[in-house]
Amino acid sequence: MSTAAGRTTHAKAILGPELYSRLSETKVLLVGAGGIGCELLKNIVLTGFGHITLLDLDTIDLSNLNRQFLFRKKDVKQSKALVAAQTAAPFNPNVKITPIYANIKEPQFDIEWFSSFDIVLNALDNLDARRHVNKMCMAAQVPLVESGTAGYLGQVQPLVKDLTECFDCIPKPTPKTFPVCTIRSTPSQPIHCIVWSKSYLMGQLFGEDEDATGELDEAEKQGENAQEIATLRKEAQAFSAVRKALRDPTSKESAARMAFQKVFDSDICNLLSMADMWRHRAPPTPLDFGKIMDESFVMRRAVPAAEPSANGHPPHGAAPVLVNGQPGQHDSQQSSSSSTSGAKVALKDQKKLTLKENLELFVSSTNRLATRLQNGEETISFDKDDDDTLDFVTASSNLRSAAYGIEEKTRWEVKEMAGNIIPAIATTNAVISGLIVLQALHLLRKSYGRLRNVHLQFKPSVPLSAITLSSPNPNCGICRDTYTKVLCDPTKTTLGDVVKGILGQSDREVGVYEDKRILADPDWDDNYERTLESLNVTRGKFLTIVDEEGDVATITIGLGVLPGNHPADGPAFILPDPLPQPPKKVKSVPVTSTPPRASLKRSAPDDDIIELEPSSKRQKSAANQDISSPSKKRRLEEDGLVLMDTANDKLEEEDEVIVVD
Amino acid sequence: MHDSQDIETATTAVATEGRPDDKTRRYDRQLRLWAATGQAALENARLLVISGSATSTSILKNLVLPGVGHFTILDHTEVTPEDAGNNFFLEGPSSIGKSRAEEAVRLLCELNEGVVGKADTGNVAEILDKNPSYFESFSLVIAHNLHPVLLDKLSTLLWSDPTYPILAVVNSAGFLAEFSLQFHEHAIIESHSDTTPSLRIDKAFPALLEYAKSLDFSSMDSMEHSHIPYVVILVRALEDWKKQHDGKSPQTYDQKKEFKAKILDMKLKIDEENFDEAEAQAYRCWTETNVPSDIAPLFDDPQLDSLSPTSPLFFHLLYALKKFAAQPPHVLPLTSTLPDMKASTASYIHLQRLYKDQTTEEKRTFTSFLQVPVDDDLVDSFVKNAHGLKVLRGKKWGLLDASPEQLAEKLSMSPRETSTHLAMSALRASTIKHPDIRPTAEILTSEAKALLPPGTELPEEFSNAIGELVRAPTADLPNTAALLGGLVAQEVIKMITKQYIPIDGCCVIDLIETWTGMI
Ligand SMILES: [Zn+2]
Repeated sequence: MSTAAGRTTHAKAILGPELYSRLSETKVLLVGAGGIGCELLKNIVLTGFGHITLLDLDTIDLSNLNRQFLFRKKDVKQSKALVAAQTAAPFNPNVKITPIYANIKEPQFDIEWFSSFDIVLNALDNLDARRHVNKMCMAAQVPLVESGTAGYLGQVQPLVKDLTECFDCIPKPTPKTFPVCTIRSTPSQPIHCIVWSKSYLMGQLFGEDEDATGELDEAEKQGENAQEIATLRKEAQAFSAVRKALRDPTSKESAARMAFQKVFDSDICNLLSMADMWRHRAPPTPLDFGKIMDESFVMRRAVPAAEPSANGHPPHGAAPVLVNGQPGQHDSQQSSSSSTSGAKVALKDQKKLTLKENLELFVSSTNRLATRLQNGEETISFDKDDDDTLDFVTASSNLRSAAYGIEEKTRWEVKEMAGNIIPAIATTNAVISGLIVLQALHLLRKSYGRLRNVHLQFKPSVPLSAITLSSPNPNCGICRDTYTKVLCDPTKTTLGDVVKGILGQSDREVGVYEDKRILADPDWDDNYERTLESLNVTRGKFLTIVDEEGDVATITIGLGVLPGNHPADGPAFILPDPLPQPPKKVKSVPVTSTPPRASLKRSAPDDDIIELEPSSKRQKSAANQDISSPSKKRRLEEDGLVLMDTANDKLEEEDEVIVVD
Repeated sequence: MHDSQDIETATTAVATEGRPDDKTRRYDRQLRLWAATGQAALENARLLVISGSATSTSILKNLVLPGVGHFTILDHTEVTPEDAGNNFFLEGPSSIGKSRAEEAVRLLCELNEGVVGKADTGNVAEILDKNPSYFESFSLVIAHNLHPVLLDKLSTLLWSDPTYPILAVVNSAGFLAEFSLQFHEHAIIESHSDTTPSLRIDKAFPALLEYAKSLDFSSMDSMEHSHIPYVVILVRALEDWKKQHDGKSPQTYDQKKEFKAKILDMKLKIDEENFDEAEAQAYRCWTETNVPSDIAPLFDDPQLDSLSPTSPLFFHLLYALKKFAAQPPHVLPLTSTLPDMKASTASYIHLQRLYKDQTTEEKRTFTSFLQVPVDDDLVDSFVKNAHGLKVLRGKKWGLLDASPEQLAEKLSMSPRETSTHLAMSALRASTIKHPDIRPTAEILTSEAKALLPPGTELPEEFSNAIGELVRAPTADLPNTAALLGGLVAQEVIKMITKQYIPIDGCCVIDLIETWTGMI
């Protein structure tokens, strides 16, 4: 028997000749070449899927190698998609793998593109991208197998528009948010300092030279403390001198000291000058560079009488407490997700640094980052696997914690908290990717009765739990819409062309949105005359047409480009034929997952909100967070934290307030 | 760090000293799951895998990647075209005709240079006959689709001495599979249990009680009052209650309601969340802290009565725990982890200090009951996880099939799982009796019936299962192999690291209907 025959004997026996011959024609999109993606690619190559498009925006990191088995040490820093395709392809010469090194959210991956696949397999690790692919698959009517893992746990869910729930039918946990002022001036927990360091300070020093006052204007509008905002504004402006020094090779060591001086000394002194703020909370202590270095630094913080100090000294009354050079003054509790064992083999970066060591790390990491800027890197943002940035965030968040009397964290813990790290192992990925293929085969075979929502769980008695699928949530803001597409030249097509074209004969009153932007409503049609391009509604974006009375389902229009063979003098846009016929809507309560937006009549898709991937640990602590319902959320950065401008200033009632004697 | 160092030297030193090495970085995501102790156990493990099948290499892949210390593949066969088509850890057509063990080991070793792999082209049948001590040097043996006669011999041999390696038996055919672990005894300290240890509010230790009693709630300013930790509020409220109720905690439903109302009455302002927390946690006042019902039976273990210096440390520790719990107030040693609660930083730290001091004190008492010296880190770990200890007792492989009555009972209780298992057992039996015939539904049915009491009816699930086996009795499907590889490796890791609770029994898997079950 030949190899080819050998390879296919079993698969044919199981799948039957009909499905098996279809497999080689099947076009599959695999999104993600990480932990699940590598396993999955191997499985679908061996199973005999003929055309595989593999997309991933990441490059390989050393910490991937404990599970992403298509990569070797020599591949570090290469594109995951390219290397994975190279490693897996020789295994089955009959399979065509097309690797793409890109972000799935880029506009060229529009509905047209998604429609060209028979099935989509998600192997992603962040909610934002998972929700995006879900929406695209709903729009393009392509079946999707969705998956996720966390440590020993995992899940696989097959999704088919109108037949099953979509990924967004069940509200996902709300992201953890912090009021701007908690991060910027009144932190009370280690995470506040870490967020400040990675999202704010890194950006100010090493990020784009952007006007950071926008969010302060916004915060002021939302009614946050005006005096505090004014101080923060001044603080932001003063960054330009430090930025300049960091980019100037002649400033050498002094730039780090300058940065330190600004953020840990003068900024804190400025905040202290607002006496009101510190009436009910312990004021921070400005840090002194020289004194920390020569270990003569003394915290001015007053300790309540009759209580022993944190480091176990006998009570000092209100006497100053020396905190310098005292490693392990706090419980050296390791991160809760790591094992509870008496780790004899404790890891290097699980050691708590002293104040002086933190300062030294601050200086060295700032210097390293400055050198990178001077050598041509334009901006540097936090990346958990970039040691320079991790060192910087570790050191600067700990210095800030010291100033505010908050527990310091080890580098190991900071990495997990700042990087939203979820434990990941090969075994879970192997199980999950095996399940994905099974569900994909059922989908292709259209044996919908065999589809299952499968969880890999902890219970030693039932490792896998499989549940039958649920119907779509009638109130889902994603899969209950009627999707259609318009191919057009956005420079020549107006908003009115598209909206009126899609509505056809119907004269019902509608509102028109792009994402959360309102573009038109029954009393305001100025934009109908404008071109789509001038409204920044272009390829890959969606226009939503919402019925004013809420009687019929929302129409969501995906915008694509005119086909290559479209005549130059042809029409500027092509409407779908037939026009979409949105069904009558069942009136009921709106989906609860999306907070109502004042300006919207409909809960718009929420995909600009990024959520913390909930590790069990984070979920636990999230429950203890004092998060009031956000009036408006703004995405702060790629991987997850959302700052919240609270409408109701809750400064006086935060959950942990440091008491002043 | 020396003061004399200039900043440059000092900072470079810190930056590199505190930074993890390549190995830690490689294993970062799993160290967050099982920590350095689990990793060390994994690196000390020696695995023997019998056969270089697709399933075997899938299992091994998931153990080589996280860094198992050593593995040997024992396989005397050569790579066939089928192998080349379904086994990712062979080099396609170019591997055909070469030793399956050697090819698989070579490719698996490429996954992780920290792992030592060895190919053994010996014949397991001969080794079992002539060199049974071969197996003793391994910590765990995995056998995939091993010939039933040899499997029987191997399992009997490994069961014959409790110090012999654990045996993982894995069988698969097409979309069906089952696996089980054969071990005598498996004691787990770090079970990563969901339950949290008691805060002992109902049995407050003296320092905590003193502290709660010493606070003058009425003279506090509003800021201080709204930041008394709920633990302190409850200890105080319970103490006050007991004074008025003959030293008893709230007993009846009405009393409990009254107690909660009293706590809320203590508020100065309506929005004092710490009192809301206290009310929500009030049940802790009448839920008696004692030795948990999962732990108490462990104290009856006969090994505790015949401890010798060479007994496993786990049982020495368990003995000390039993002694500790025998003393009033009949509880497990305290652990110092306090949950988050509404509190000022200062009062929280003070409370933490009280718990810590008491924990240290109780650990000292606990240690005094130990009859052998035990490493301090191990004592800490044991005490910290005492509320989640587990001792599993395993069975010899194949015991279930030796008892027709038991099988029949299982069949009526869980027909789906037992039918699949029975079908796999029947397939093994037919391999012995009819080595040259492809199994038919009739053969498998009669073999299954032979395992059951005469006249037992076979349920419909059984015909479904044998349908699958008849179709693909020897198929080692890549996708089944991948999934099984994940599940088996997961359990092997739990056994090796002695963390988390492994499956207890036989795990049956049906990948057509997508379910797993235990018998
Ligand atoms: Zn939906």
